[in-house]
Amino acid sequence: MQTFFLSLILISGLLFFPSIDARALGTIGIIKSVSGEVHLINATSTIKALANMKLNQGDSIRTGPNSNVGLIFDDDTVVSLGSNSEMSITEFLFHPAAQELSFVATLITGTFSFISGQIAKLAPDKITLETPDATLGVRGTKFLVKID
Amino acid sequence: MIVTQWFNQRIFFIFITLIFAISGCAKQTTVVLLPDPDGKLGEVTVTSDGGSIAICHALEATTVKGRQGTPTTPKIISAAAIQKDFAEALAILPEQPVHFILYFQRDSNKLTPASKTRILDVLATAEKRNSKDIIVIGHTDTAGNPRYNLRLSQNRAKAIAKILVSKGVERQHIQTTSHGEMNPLIPTKDNVHEPKNRRVEVVVR
Repeated sequence: MQTFFLSLILISGLLFFPSIDARALGTIGIIKSVSGEVHLINATSTIKALANMKLNQGDSIRTGPNSNVGLIFDDDTVVSLGSNSEMSITEFLFHPAAQELSFVATLITGTFSFISGQIAKLAPDKITLETPDATLGVRGTKFLVKID
Repeated sequence: MIVTQWFNQRIFFIFITLIFAISGCAKQTTVVLLPDPDGKLGEVTVTSDGGSIAICHALEATTVKGRQGTPTTPKIISAAAIQKDFAEALAILPEQPVHFILYFQRDSNKLTPASKTRILDVLATAEKRNSKDIIVIGHTDTAGNPRYNLRLSQNRAKAIAKILVSKGVERQHIQTTSHGEMNPLIPTKDNVHEPKNRRVEVVVR
């Protein structure tokens, strides 16, 4: 009987606390600002990017000529893309309580600026940025990348 | 006429292909390190099949040409060179989100007097950043049972959202979430009164 009540308590606990994430929001960040022609691409569609749209794992973002975009991720990483640039977000996990942290992205072409966020502080080895030429490892910092 | 056009396109295509062939179709990646907003310097390591280089000084840059290439020895570049390539990207780089912690009275959704004033800073920051994305996360200490605390943390988050809305923030720009006693700022045993854990975190993005 005691075991029964104990499991009941445990089960209700699970029901009530399905997520202990820092942000139980389902998305991984937002588009903060857009200038010119910018597109947000996921597995099923390509849409015109607008300020305050949500970002998800697997999204790509592409800027046209004289166009640029600023992004904010849930771990406070901020990223911007200059003209004719493209980046795809392979994986982004920010659940510090569960120690699930990861930021894997591919920088395909163009210019980028970054200020790394909490993942770079908590688990710098979990950040991987791939370019056509190299793999970048990041330790808490602001930096620029150009691929041409 | 059409044939000439086709021919011209064809020549152009061959010309472009030749340029790529001569340059080895080379893409190259350049990485530049800048000081953080608080003035500190971090480090970026650039690794290709040809080697690995770390840059750790302000305005230091390295370039690697192709996966087989070796990253060049780090070299300080001029502010003018940075402006030339990165002015656009830097101009639109968002400021990092600002975090606030507001504290509550024991077993209550009433703010402490100091935190009541702090709300004004939240509002000022939201206005300055033109933020349309404010995240409000409710928490409690571990005193009392977890179910009760989840409700209490929800009530705290709601109370803050209500204050922000009453001061002119649009409700649709606020996302609330609640963690009950599961995410303490100061880890404690169960059933511990800890003023620093009775809080709402507000993130202005």
